[in-house]
Amino acid sequence: MTPRRKHFDASLPELEPAERYAGQVLDARLHLLDRQVLDRDDVPVQVVDDLELSDVPFGETIPAGTPAPVIASILSGPVLSTRMFGGRPPSSRFHRVSWDRIAEIGIAVRLGVAGSTLDVTWVERWVRDRIISRIPGGRHDPE
Amino acid sequence: MKRVLGVALGVLTAIGGFLDIGDLVTNAVVGSRFGLSLAWVVLVGVVGICLFAQMSGRVAAVSGRATFEIIRERLGPKAGLANLSASFLINLLTLTAEIGGIALALQLASSVAPDLWIPVAAFAVWLVIWRVKFSIMENVTGLVGLCLIVFAVALFLLGPDWSKLAEQAFAPSVPGSESVGAYWYYAVALFGAAMTPYEVFFFSSGAVEEKWKKKDISQSRINVLVGFPLGGVLSVAIAACATIVLLPRGIEVSSLSQIVLPVAEAGGKLAVAFVIVGIVAATFGAALETTLSSGYTLAQFFGWSWGKFRKPAEAARFHIAMIICLLVGLGVLATGVDPILVTEYSVVFSAIALPLTYLPILIVANDKQYMGDARNGRVTNAFALVYLVIILVASIAAIPLMILTGAGA
Repeated sequence: MTPRRKHFDASLPELEPAERYAGQVLDARLHLLDRQVLDRDDVPVQVVDDLELSDVPFGETIPAGTPAPVIASILSGPVLSTRMFGGRPPSSRFHRVSWDRIAEIGIAVRLGVAGSTLDVTWVERWVRDRIISRIPGGRHDPE
Repeated sequence: MKRVLGVALGVLTAIGGFLDIGDLVTNAVVGSRFGLSLAWVVLVGVVGICLFAQMSGRVAAVSGRATFEIIRERLGPKAGLANLSASFLINLLTLTAEIGGIALALQLASSVAPDLWIPVAAFAVWLVIWRVKFSIMENVTGLVGLCLIVFAVALFLLGPDWSKLAEQAFAPSVPGSESVGAYWYYAVALFGAAMTPYEVFFFSSGAVEEKWKKKDISQSRINVLVGFPLGGVLSVAIAACATIVLLPRGIEVSSLSQIVLPVAEAGGKLAVAFVIVGIVAATFGAALETTLSSGYTLAQFFGWSWGKFRKPAEAARFHIAMIICLLVGLGVLATGVDPILVTEYSVVFSAIALPLTYLPILIVANDKQYMGDARNGRVTNAFALVYLVIILVASIAAIPLMILTGAGA
Protein backbone atom coordinates (compact mmCIF):
# COMPACT_ATOMS: atom_id res chain seq x y z
CA MET A 1 0.00 0.00 0.00
CA THR A 2 1.31 3.43 -0.84
CA PRO A 3 -0.88 5.76 1.17
CA ARG A 4 1.07 8.93 0.58
CA ARG A 5 1.15 9.62 -3.14
CA LYS A 6 1.76 13.32 -3.36
CA HIS A 7 1.85 14.05 -7.07
CA PHE A 8 -1.53 15.14 -8.30
CA ASP A 9 -2.13 16.18 -11.85
CA ALA A 10 -4.11 19.40 -11.71
CA SER A 11 -5.38 18.96 -15.27
CA LEU A 12 -7.32 15.80 -14.40
CA PRO A 13 -11.01 16.20 -13.65
CA GLU A 14 -11.87 16.14 -9.97
CA LEU A 15 -12.70 12.77 -8.50
CA GLU A 16 -16.20 12.13 -7.33
CA PRO A 17 -16.53 11.86 -3.55
CA ALA A 18 -16.50 8.31 -2.23
CA GLU A 19 -19.77 6.50 -1.96
CA ARG A 20 -21.33 6.51 1.48
CA TYR A 21 -21.95 3.20 3.16
CA ALA A 22 -24.14 2.27 6.06
CA GLY A 23 -22.38 0.45 8.91
CA GLN A 24 -18.94 0.58 10.49
CA VAL A 25 -16.36 2.75 8.76
CA LEU A 26 -12.81 1.58 9.30
CA ASP A 27 -9.71 3.68 8.98
CA ALA A 28 -7.00 1.36 7.66
CA ARG A 29 -4.27 3.03 9.68
CA LEU A 30 -6.28 3.46 12.84
CA HIS A 31 -8.25 0.22 13.00
CA LEU A 32 -6.35 -2.35 10.96
CA LEU A 33 -2.65 -1.78 10.52
CA ASP A 34 -0.49 -2.99 13.43
CA ARG A 35 -3.39 -4.65 15.21
CA GLN A 36 -2.94 -8.07 16.77
CA VAL A 37 -4.61 -10.90 14.84
CA LEU A 38 -6.10 -13.71 16.96
CA ASP A 39 -7.46 -16.99 15.68
CA ARG A 40 -10.82 -18.42 16.69
CA ASP A 41 -9.29 -19.86 19.90
CA ASP A 42 -7.70 -16.52 20.89
CA VAL A 43 -4.20 -17.68 19.94
CA PRO A 44 -2.11 -14.83 18.47
CA VAL A 45 -1.36 -15.45 14.80
CA GLN A 46 0.35 -12.31 13.51
CA VAL A 47 0.12 -8.55 13.53
CA VAL A 48 -1.49 -6.84 10.54
CA ASP A 49 1.85 -5.87 8.96
CA ASP A 50 0.28 -4.55 5.76
CA LEU A 51 -2.81 -4.81 3.58
CA GLU A 52 -3.09 -6.08 0.01
CA LEU A 53 -5.65 -4.31 -2.14
CA SER A 54 -7.34 -5.83 -5.16
CA ASP A 55 -5.54 -4.94 -8.36
CA VAL A 56 -5.25 -1.23 -9.12
CA PRO A 57 -3.67 -0.62 -12.54
CA PHE A 58 -0.62 1.57 -12.12
CA GLY A 59 0.16 4.45 -14.49
CA GLU A 60 -3.04 4.04 -16.49
CA THR A 61 -6.10 6.19 -16.58
CA ILE A 62 -8.90 4.55 -14.66
CA PRO A 63 -12.20 4.84 -16.50
CA ALA A 64 -15.08 6.39 -14.63
CA GLY A 65 -17.40 3.93 -12.99
CA THR A 66 -14.71 1.36 -12.16
CA PRO A 67 -15.55 -0.24 -8.79
CA ALA A 68 -13.30 0.86 -5.92
CA PRO A 69 -10.51 -1.55 -4.93
CA VAL A 70 -11.22 -3.81 -1.96
CA ILE A 71 -8.90 -5.32 0.63
CA ALA A 72 -7.90 -8.75 -0.64
CA SER A 73 -5.81 -9.98 2.27
CA ILE A 74 -3.86 -9.01 5.36
CA LEU A 75 -0.13 -9.50 5.07
CA SER A 76 2.58 -10.55 7.46
CA GLY A 77 6.32 -11.11 7.48
CA PRO A 78 9.01 -9.36 5.41
CA VAL A 79 6.49 -6.86 4.08
CA LEU A 80 6.82 -5.07 7.43
CA SER A 81 10.35 -3.95 6.59
CA THR A 82 9.23 -2.51 3.26
CA ARG A 83 6.52 -0.57 5.04
CA MET A 84 9.21 0.96 7.23
CA PHE A 85 12.00 1.49 4.74
CA GLY A 86 10.15 1.63 1.42
CA GLY A 87 10.23 -0.67 -1.59
CA ARG A 88 7.93 -3.54 -2.39
CA PRO A 89 8.64 -7.28 -2.26
CA PRO A 90 7.44 -9.33 -5.24
CA SER A 91 3.90 -10.41 -4.54
CA SER A 92 4.97 -14.05 -4.64
CA ARG A 93 6.75 -13.36 -1.34
CA PHE A 94 3.66 -12.10 0.44
CA HIS A 95 2.48 -14.06 3.46
CA ARG A 96 -1.26 -13.66 3.16
CA VAL A 97 -4.34 -14.30 5.20
CA SER A 98 -7.32 -13.91 2.93
CA TRP A 99 -9.76 -11.17 3.97
CA ASP A 100 -12.71 -13.58 4.02
CA ARG A 101 -11.12 -15.41 6.98
CA ILE A 102 -11.74 -12.40 9.20
CA ALA A 103 -14.64 -12.77 11.59
CA GLU A 104 -14.51 -9.61 13.67
CA ILE A 105 -12.58 -6.35 13.91
CA GLY A 106 -12.26 -4.81 17.34
CA ILE A 107 -9.24 -3.96 19.48
CA ALA A 108 -7.88 -7.12 17.86
CA VAL A 109 -8.63 -8.66 14.49
CA ARG A 110 -10.28 -12.02 15.00
CA LEU A 111 -10.17 -14.86 12.48
CA GLY A 112 -12.84 -17.49 12.06
CA VAL A 113 -10.35 -20.31 11.58
CA ALA A 114 -7.63 -22.02 13.64
CA GLY A 115 -4.24 -20.33 13.21
CA SER A 116 -2.44 -23.63 12.72
CA THR A 117 -4.27 -24.16 9.41
CA LEU A 118 -2.83 -20.95 7.94
CA ASP A 119 0.34 -20.64 5.89
CA VAL A 120 1.50 -17.55 7.80
CA THR A 121 2.19 -19.62 10.93
CA TRP A 122 4.78 -21.84 9.25
CA VAL A 123 7.72 -20.31 11.16
CA GLU A 124 5.96 -20.96 14.45
CA ARG A 125 5.26 -24.56 13.45
CA TRP A 126 8.82 -25.05 12.20
CA VAL A 127 10.34 -23.82 15.50
CA ARG A 128 7.85 -25.95 17.43
CA ASP A 129 8.45 -29.18 15.51
CA ARG A 130 12.20 -28.87 15.02
CA ILE A 131 13.28 -27.39 18.36
CA ILE A 132 10.81 -26.77 21.16
CA SER A 133 8.96 -30.10 21.03
CA ARG A 134 12.25 -31.96 21.15
CA ILE A 135 13.34 -30.44 24.45
CA PRO A 136 11.99 -32.56 27.33
CA GLY A 137 8.86 -31.05 28.84
CA GLY A 138 8.11 -28.93 25.80
CA ARG A 139 4.74 -30.53 25.22
CA HIS A 140 3.59 -30.38 28.84
CA ASP A 141 1.71 -27.70 30.74
CA PRO A 142 3.83 -25.82 33.29
CA GLU A 143 3.22 -27.10 36.83
CA MET B 1 -11.08 -14.91 54.32
CA LYS B 2 -9.74 -16.29 51.07
CA ARG B 3 -9.89 -12.81 49.60
CA VAL B 4 -7.96 -11.31 52.53
CA LEU B 5 -5.31 -13.98 52.14
CA GLY B 6 -5.16 -13.28 48.42
CA VAL B 7 -4.59 -9.58 49.06
CA ALA B 8 -1.97 -10.31 51.75
CA LEU B 9 -0.14 -12.68 49.43
CA GLY B 10 -0.25 -10.15 46.60
CA VAL B 11 1.11 -7.36 48.81
CA LEU B 12 3.91 -9.52 50.24
CA THR B 13 4.86 -10.66 46.74
CA ALA B 14 4.95 -7.07 45.55
CA ILE B 15 7.29 -6.06 48.41
CA GLY B 16 9.64 -8.95 47.73
CA GLY B 17 9.39 -8.49 43.98
CA PHE B 18 10.06 -4.75 44.03
CA LEU B 19 13.76 -5.05 44.78
CA ASP B 20 16.22 -6.30 42.20
CA ILE B 21 19.97 -6.08 41.70
CA GLY B 22 19.59 -2.53 40.34
CA ASP B 23 17.88 -1.30 43.52
CA LEU B 24 20.32 -3.17 45.77
CA VAL B 25 23.46 -1.85 44.11
CA THR B 26 22.30 1.69 43.38
CA ASN B 27 20.90 2.26 46.86
CA ALA B 28 24.04 0.93 48.52
CA VAL B 29 26.32 3.00 46.28
CA VAL B 30 24.24 6.11 46.87
CA GLY B 31 24.11 5.51 50.63
CA SER B 32 27.86 5.05 50.86
CA ARG B 33 28.55 8.28 48.95
CA PHE B 34 25.63 10.64 49.48
CA GLY B 35 24.05 9.38 52.70
CA LEU B 36 20.31 9.74 52.68
CA SER B 37 20.40 12.98 50.71
CA LEU B 38 18.90 11.17 47.68
CA ALA B 39 16.14 9.34 49.58
CA TRP B 40 13.60 11.71 48.03
CA VAL B 41 14.36 10.21 44.60
CA VAL B 42 13.21 6.79 45.84
CA LEU B 43 9.94 8.40 46.93
CA VAL B 44 9.48 10.07 43.52
CA GLY B 45 10.33 6.80 41.73
CA VAL B 46 7.99 4.68 43.85
CA VAL B 47 5.01 6.99 43.28
CA GLY B 48 5.79 6.89 39.55
CA ILE B 49 6.03 3.11 39.30
CA CYS B 50 2.79 2.74 41.31
CA LEU B 51 1.03 5.10 38.94
CA PHE B 52 2.16 3.48 35.71
CA ALA B 53 2.22 -0.16 36.86
CA GLN B 54 -1.40 -0.02 37.92
CA MET B 55 -2.28 1.85 34.72
CA SER B 56 -0.70 -0.82 32.52
CA GLY B 57 -2.32 -3.56 34.63
CA ARG B 58 -5.70 -1.89 34.21
CA VAL B 59 -5.26 -1.58 30.44
CA ALA B 60 -4.31 -5.28 30.24
CA ALA B 61 -7.21 -6.36 32.46
CA VAL B 62 -9.84 -4.37 30.56
CA SER B 63 -8.64 -4.82 26.99
CA GLY B 64 -6.67 -8.06 27.23
CA ARG B 65 -3.85 -6.32 25.34
CA ALA B 66 -0.38 -6.16 26.89
CA THR B 67 1.90 -3.14 26.77
CA PHE B 68 3.99 -3.90 23.72
CA GLU B 69 1.02 -4.76 21.49
CA ILE B 70 -0.24 -1.31 22.37
CA ILE B 71 3.09 0.38 21.73
CA ARG B 72 3.21 -1.12 18.23
CA GLU B 73 -0.42 -0.32 17.53
CA ARG B 74 -0.17 3.29 18.67
CA LEU B 75 3.31 4.26 17.51
CA GLY B 76 3.29 2.38 14.20
CA PRO B 77 6.04 0.13 12.89
CA LYS B 78 8.95 2.59 12.67
CA ALA B 79 8.71 4.23 16.08
CA GLY B 80 7.56 0.91 17.48
CA LEU B 81 10.66 -0.86 16.21
CA ALA B 82 12.95 1.88 17.51
CA ASN B 83 11.21 1.51 20.85
CA LEU B 84 11.50 -2.27 20.73
CA SER B 85 15.23 -2.11 19.97
CA ALA B 86 15.93 0.25 22.86
CA SER B 87 13.69 -1.51 25.38
CA PHE B 88 14.89 -4.94 24.35
CA LEU B 89 18.59 -4.08 24.61
CA ILE B 90 18.18 -2.44 28.00
CA ASN B 91 16.15 -5.39 29.19
CA LEU B 92 18.93 -7.70 28.00
CA LEU B 93 21.44 -5.60 29.94
CA THR B 94 19.26 -5.87 33.06
CA LEU B 95 18.86 -9.62 32.53
CA THR B 96 22.64 -9.97 32.35
CA ALA B 97 23.03 -7.96 35.54
CA GLU B 98 20.44 -10.07 37.39
CA ILE B 99 22.09 -13.38 36.44
CA GLY B 100 25.44 -11.97 37.50
CA GLY B 101 23.76 -10.90 40.75
CA ILE B 102 22.51 -14.44 41.46
CA ALA B 103 26.04 -15.75 40.89
CA LEU B 104 27.61 -13.12 43.18
CA ALA B 105 25.11 -13.89 45.95
CA LEU B 106 25.75 -17.61 45.64
CA GLN B 107 29.48 -16.89 45.76
CA LEU B 108 29.00 -15.16 49.12
CA ALA B 109 27.26 -18.27 50.41
CA SER B 110 29.63 -20.85 48.99
CA SER B 111 32.93 -19.13 48.12
CA VAL B 112 32.73 -20.86 44.73
CA ALA B 113 33.78 -18.39 42.03
CA PRO B 114 30.87 -16.61 40.28
CA ASP B 115 32.12 -17.77 36.86
CA LEU B 116 31.09 -21.26 37.89
CA TRP B 117 27.75 -20.16 39.30
CA ILE B 118 26.71 -18.13 36.23
CA PRO B 119 25.82 -21.08 33.95
CA VAL B 120 24.06 -22.83 36.84
CA ALA B 121 22.01 -19.70 37.55
CA ALA B 122 21.06 -19.23 33.90
CA PHE B 123 20.06 -22.86 33.56
CA ALA B 124 17.93 -22.67 36.70
CA VAL B 125 16.20 -19.54 35.37
CA TRP B 126 15.43 -21.32 32.10
CA LEU B 127 14.16 -24.43 33.88
CA VAL B 128 11.72 -22.41 35.98
CA ILE B 129 10.46 -20.57 32.91
CA TRP B 130 10.13 -23.84 31.03
CA ARG B 131 8.30 -25.84 33.66
CA VAL B 132 6.92 -23.82 36.58
CA LYS B 133 3.50 -22.19 36.62
CA PHE B 134 3.39 -18.41 36.53
CA SER B 135 1.64 -17.87 39.88
CA ILE B 136 3.94 -20.25 41.78
CA MET B 137 7.03 -18.66 40.26
CA GLU B 138 5.84 -15.18 41.24
CA ASN B 139 4.76 -16.03 44.78
CA VAL B 140 7.78 -18.11 45.77
CA THR B 141 10.43 -15.62 44.64
CA GLY B 142 8.42 -12.72 46.07
CA LEU B 143 7.91 -14.32 49.48
CA VAL B 144 11.50 -15.55 49.85
CA GLY B 145 12.65 -12.13 48.72
CA LEU B 146 11.03 -10.76 51.87
CA CYS B 147 14.18 -11.96 53.68
CA LEU B 148 15.61 -8.61 52.57
CA ILE B 149 13.64 -7.10 55.44
CA VAL B 150 16.78 -7.94 57.38
CA PHE B 151 18.17 -4.63 56.02
CA ALA B 152 15.48 -2.80 57.98
CA VAL B 153 16.15 -4.92 61.06
CA ALA B 154 19.88 -4.25 60.73
CA LEU B 155 19.17 -0.52 60.61
CA PHE B 156 17.55 -0.71 64.05
CA LEU B 157 20.28 -2.97 65.45
CA LEU B 158 22.94 -0.50 64.30
CA GLY B 159 21.26 2.09 66.53
CA PRO B 160 21.97 5.13 64.38
CA ASP B 161 21.56 8.79 65.22
CA TRP B 162 18.00 9.02 63.86
CA SER B 163 17.82 12.81 63.89
CA LYS B 164 20.92 13.03 61.72
CA LEU B 165 19.49 10.55 59.23
CA ALA B 166 16.19 12.40 59.16
CA GLU B 167 17.98 15.68 58.58
CA GLN B 168 19.81 14.20 55.57
CA ALA B 169 16.60 12.75 54.16
CA PHE B 170 14.29 15.72 54.69
CA ALA B 171 16.70 18.61 54.13
CA PRO B 172 18.81 17.14 51.33
CA SER B 173 22.02 18.81 50.24
CA VAL B 174 24.99 17.70 48.17
CA PRO B 175 27.70 16.34 50.53
CA GLY B 176 30.87 18.43 50.50
CA SER B 177 33.00 15.55 49.22
CA GLU B 178 30.88 15.10 46.07
CA SER B 179 30.25 17.20 42.99
CA VAL B 180 26.81 18.50 42.03
CA GLY B 181 27.02 16.61 38.71
CA ALA B 182 27.62 13.27 40.44
CA TYR B 183 24.70 13.98 42.79
CA TRP B 184 22.30 14.44 39.91
CA TYR B 185 23.79 11.54 37.96
CA TYR B 186 22.96 9.22 40.84
CA ALA B 187 19.54 10.84 41.21
CA VAL B 188 18.82 9.77 37.62
CA ALA B 189 20.27 6.29 38.26
CA LEU B 190 18.15 5.81 41.38
CA PHE B 191 15.06 6.98 39.50
CA GLY B 192 15.81 4.52 36.69
CA ALA B 193 16.33 1.70 39.20
CA ALA B 194 12.94 2.34 40.80
CA MET B 195 11.03 2.77 37.53
CA THR B 196 12.77 0.15 35.31
CA PRO B 197 10.61 -0.36 32.19
CA TYR B 198 10.66 -4.15 32.40
CA GLU B 199 8.46 -3.96 35.48
CA VAL B 200 5.69 -2.47 33.36
CA PHE B 201 6.09 -4.99 30.51
CA PHE B 202 6.06 -7.74 33.06
CA PHE B 203 3.16 -6.37 35.07
CA SER B 204 0.86 -5.94 32.08
CA SER B 205 1.81 -9.28 30.51
CA GLY B 206 1.40 -10.91 33.93
CA ALA B 207 -2.14 -9.55 34.06
CA VAL B 208 -2.84 -11.36 30.79
CA GLU B 209 -1.06 -14.50 32.04
CA GLU B 210 -3.21 -14.61 35.18
CA LYS B 211 -6.31 -13.74 33.14
CA TRP B 212 -7.26 -10.67 35.12
CA LYS B 213 -10.69 -9.30 34.46
CA LYS B 214 -12.19 -5.96 35.39
CA LYS B 215 -13.09 -7.18 38.87
CA ASP B 216 -9.44 -7.99 39.64
CA ILE B 217 -8.37 -4.39 39.13
CA SER B 218 -9.07 -3.31 42.71
CA GLN B 219 -6.97 -6.13 44.14
CA SER B 220 -4.07 -5.36 41.82
CA ARG B 221 -4.32 -1.73 42.86
CA ILE B 222 -3.95 -2.68 46.54
CA ASN B 223 -0.99 -4.94 45.73
CA VAL B 224 0.78 -2.12 43.95
CA LEU B 225 -0.18 0.76 46.21
CA VAL B 226 0.83 -1.07 49.41
CA GLY B 227 3.52 -3.45 48.16
CA PHE B 228 5.66 -1.11 46.07
CA PRO B 229 5.91 1.67 48.71
CA LEU B 230 6.97 -0.91 51.31
CA GLY B 231 9.53 -2.14 48.80
CA GLY B 232 10.64 1.49 48.54
CA VAL B 233 11.05 1.63 52.33
CA LEU B 234 13.38 -1.38 52.07
CA SER B 235 15.35 0.47 49.37
CA VAL B 236 15.84 3.41 51.72
CA ALA B 237 16.82 1.00 54.52
CA ILE B 238 19.59 -0.38 52.28
CA ALA B 239 20.82 3.16 51.62
CA ALA B 240 20.59 4.01 55.33
CA CYS B 241 22.63 0.94 56.33
CA ALA B 242 25.32 1.99 53.84
CA THR B 243 25.16 5.55 55.21
CA ILE B 244 25.83 4.41 58.77
CA VAL B 245 28.52 1.80 58.16
CA LEU B 246 30.22 2.57 54.84
CA LEU B 247 30.06 6.37 54.46
CA PRO B 248 32.08 7.31 57.58
CA ARG B 249 34.83 4.85 56.64
CA GLY B 250 34.97 6.00 53.04
CA ILE B 251 34.22 2.54 51.68
CA GLU B 252 33.02 2.71 48.08
CA VAL B 253 30.66 -0.06 47.05
CA SER B 254 32.11 -2.13 44.23
CA SER B 255 31.03 -5.63 45.24
CA LEU B 256 28.11 -7.44 46.77
CA SER B 257 30.04 -8.23 49.95
CA GLN B 258 30.24 -4.50 50.70
CA ILE B 259 26.48 -4.21 50.30
CA VAL B 260 25.90 -6.86 52.97
CA LEU B 261 28.68 -5.58 55.24
CA PRO B 262 26.34 -3.40 57.36
CA VAL B 263 24.02 -6.36 57.90
CA ALA B 264 26.94 -8.52 58.99
CA GLU B 265 28.11 -5.86 61.43
CA ALA B 266 24.63 -5.50 62.91
CA GLY B 267 23.35 -9.05 63.04
CA GLY B 268 26.25 -11.44 62.55
CA LYS B 269 26.14 -14.72 60.70
CA LEU B 270 22.40 -15.33 60.99
CA ALA B 271 21.56 -11.95 59.46
CA VAL B 272 24.05 -12.57 56.65
CA ALA B 273 22.40 -15.91 55.93
CA PHE B 274 19.04 -14.17 55.68
CA VAL B 275 20.34 -11.42 53.46
CA ILE B 276 22.00 -13.87 51.07
CA VAL B 277 18.80 -15.90 50.74
CA GLY B 278 16.96 -12.63 50.17
CA ILE B 279 19.37 -11.41 47.51
CA VAL B 280 19.32 -14.75 45.69
CA ALA B 281 15.50 -14.74 45.68
CA ALA B 282 15.27 -11.10 44.61
CA THR B 283 17.79 -11.40 41.78
CA PHE B 284 16.42 -14.78 40.71
CA GLY B 285 12.89 -13.36 40.63
CA ALA B 286 14.07 -10.36 38.65
CA ALA B 287 16.04 -12.62 36.27
CA LEU B 288 12.81 -14.53 35.61
CA GLU B 289 10.92 -11.29 35.07
CA THR B 290 13.49 -9.81 32.68
CA THR B 291 13.84 -13.05 30.72
CA LEU B 292 10.08 -13.27 30.34
CA SER B 293 9.94 -9.58 29.47
CA SER B 294 12.39 -10.09 26.62
CA GLY B 295 10.08 -12.79 25.24
CA TYR B 296 6.99 -10.70 25.88
CA THR B 297 8.26 -7.61 24.08
CA LEU B 298 9.39 -9.53 20.97
CA ALA B 299 6.29 -11.73 20.78
CA GLN B 300 3.92 -8.82 21.29
CA PHE B 301 5.62 -6.66 18.69
CA PHE B 302 5.64 -9.38 16.02
CA GLY B 303 2.31 -10.91 17.02
CA TRP B 304 3.62 -14.35 18.06
CA SER B 305 1.80 -16.65 20.39
CA TRP B 306 3.16 -16.05 23.92
CA GLY B 307 2.58 -16.76 27.57
CA LYS B 308 3.49 -19.20 30.29
CA PHE B 309 -0.13 -20.30 30.53
CA ARG B 310 0.46 -22.11 27.23
CA LYS B 311 2.57 -25.21 26.76
CA PRO B 312 6.04 -24.25 25.44
CA ALA B 313 5.16 -26.01 22.16
CA GLU B 314 2.19 -23.68 21.77
CA ALA B 315 4.38 -20.59 22.11
CA ALA B 316 7.45 -21.86 20.30
CA ARG B 317 9.00 -18.60 19.07
CA PHE B 318 8.41 -16.98 22.47
CA HIS B 319 10.38 -19.73 24.20
CA ILE B 320 13.17 -19.89 21.65
CA ALA B 321 13.60 -16.09 21.96
CA MET B 322 14.02 -16.38 25.72
CA ILE B 323 16.53 -19.22 25.38
CA ILE B 324 18.58 -17.08 22.98
CA CYS B 325 18.43 -14.08 25.33
CA LEU B 326 19.70 -16.20 28.23
CA LEU B 327 22.54 -17.48 26.06
CA VAL B 328 23.46 -13.93 25.04
CA GLY B 329 23.45 -12.88 28.70
CA LEU B 330 25.73 -15.81 29.49
CA GLY B 331 28.01 -14.79 26.65
CA VAL B 332 28.30 -11.24 27.97
CA LEU B 333 29.08 -12.48 31.49
CA ALA B 334 31.61 -14.98 30.09
CA THR B 335 33.75 -12.03 28.93
CA GLY B 336 34.46 -11.47 32.63
CA VAL B 337 32.67 -8.13 32.83
CA ASP B 338 31.82 -7.07 36.39
CA PRO B 339 28.05 -7.64 37.01
CA ILE B 340 27.98 -4.69 39.44
CA LEU B 341 29.24 -2.43 36.65
CA VAL B 342 26.66 -3.85 34.23
CA THR B 343 24.00 -3.08 36.85
CA GLU B 344 25.12 0.53 37.26
CA TYR B 345 24.88 1.11 33.52
CA SER B 346 21.60 -0.75 33.15
CA VAL B 347 19.76 1.53 35.61
CA VAL B 348 20.98 4.68 33.85
CA PHE B 349 20.00 3.34 30.41
CA SER B 350 16.64 2.39 31.87
CA ALA B 351 16.14 6.02 32.83
CA ILE B 352 16.92 7.05 29.25
CA ALA B 353 14.31 4.65 27.82
CA LEU B 354 11.53 5.52 30.27
CA PRO B 355 9.49 7.90 28.05
CA LEU B 356 9.33 5.26 25.28
CA THR B 357 7.36 2.96 27.54
CA TYR B 358 5.28 5.29 29.61
CA LEU B 359 3.90 7.64 26.96
CA PRO B 360 2.04 4.96 24.91
CA ILE B 361 0.55 3.46 28.08
CA LEU B 362 -0.78 6.85 29.10
CA ILE B 363 -2.29 7.39 25.64
CA VAL B 364 -4.06 4.05 25.56
CA ALA B 365 -5.26 4.34 29.15
CA ASN B 366 -7.29 7.28 27.85
CA ASP B 367 -8.59 5.51 24.72
CA LYS B 368 -12.32 4.94 24.73
CA GLN B 369 -12.27 1.99 22.33
CA TYR B 370 -9.80 0.09 24.51
CA MET B 371 -10.87 1.17 27.95
CA GLY B 372 -14.58 2.04 27.83
CA ASP B 373 -15.54 3.58 31.17
CA ALA B 374 -12.37 2.31 32.88
CA ARG B 375 -10.41 5.18 31.35
CA ASN B 376 -8.03 7.31 33.42
CA GLY B 377 -9.68 9.81 35.74
CA ARG B 378 -8.60 13.44 35.82
CA VAL B 379 -6.48 13.03 38.95
CA THR B 380 -4.57 10.08 37.46
CA ASN B 381 -4.01 12.01 34.25
CA ALA B 382 -2.78 15.07 36.14
CA PHE B 383 -0.28 12.96 38.07
CA ALA B 384 0.73 11.09 34.92
CA LEU B 385 1.42 14.32 33.05
CA VAL B 386 3.59 15.63 35.89
CA TYR B 387 5.48 12.34 35.81
CA LEU B 388 5.86 12.47 32.07
CA VAL B 389 7.73 15.76 32.50
CA ILE B 390 9.95 14.28 35.24
CA ILE B 391 10.62 11.19 33.12
CA LEU B 392 11.51 13.32 30.10
CA VAL B 393 13.88 15.52 32.10
CA ALA B 394 15.61 12.47 33.62
CA SER B 395 15.85 10.84 30.22
CA ILE B 396 17.33 13.88 28.51
CA ALA B 397 19.71 14.68 31.35
CA ALA B 398 21.06 11.13 31.70
CA ILE B 399 23.60 11.04 28.89
CA PRO B 400 25.06 14.56 29.39
CA LEU B 401 25.40 13.80 33.11
CA MET B 402 27.06 10.48 32.34
CA ILE B 403 29.63 12.16 30.09
CA LEU B 404 30.14 15.15 32.38
CA THR B 405 30.77 13.10 35.51
CA GLY B 406 32.54 10.16 33.85
CA ALA B 407 29.65 7.85 34.88
CA GLY B 408 29.51 9.25 38.39
CA ALA B 409 33.18 8.80 39.26
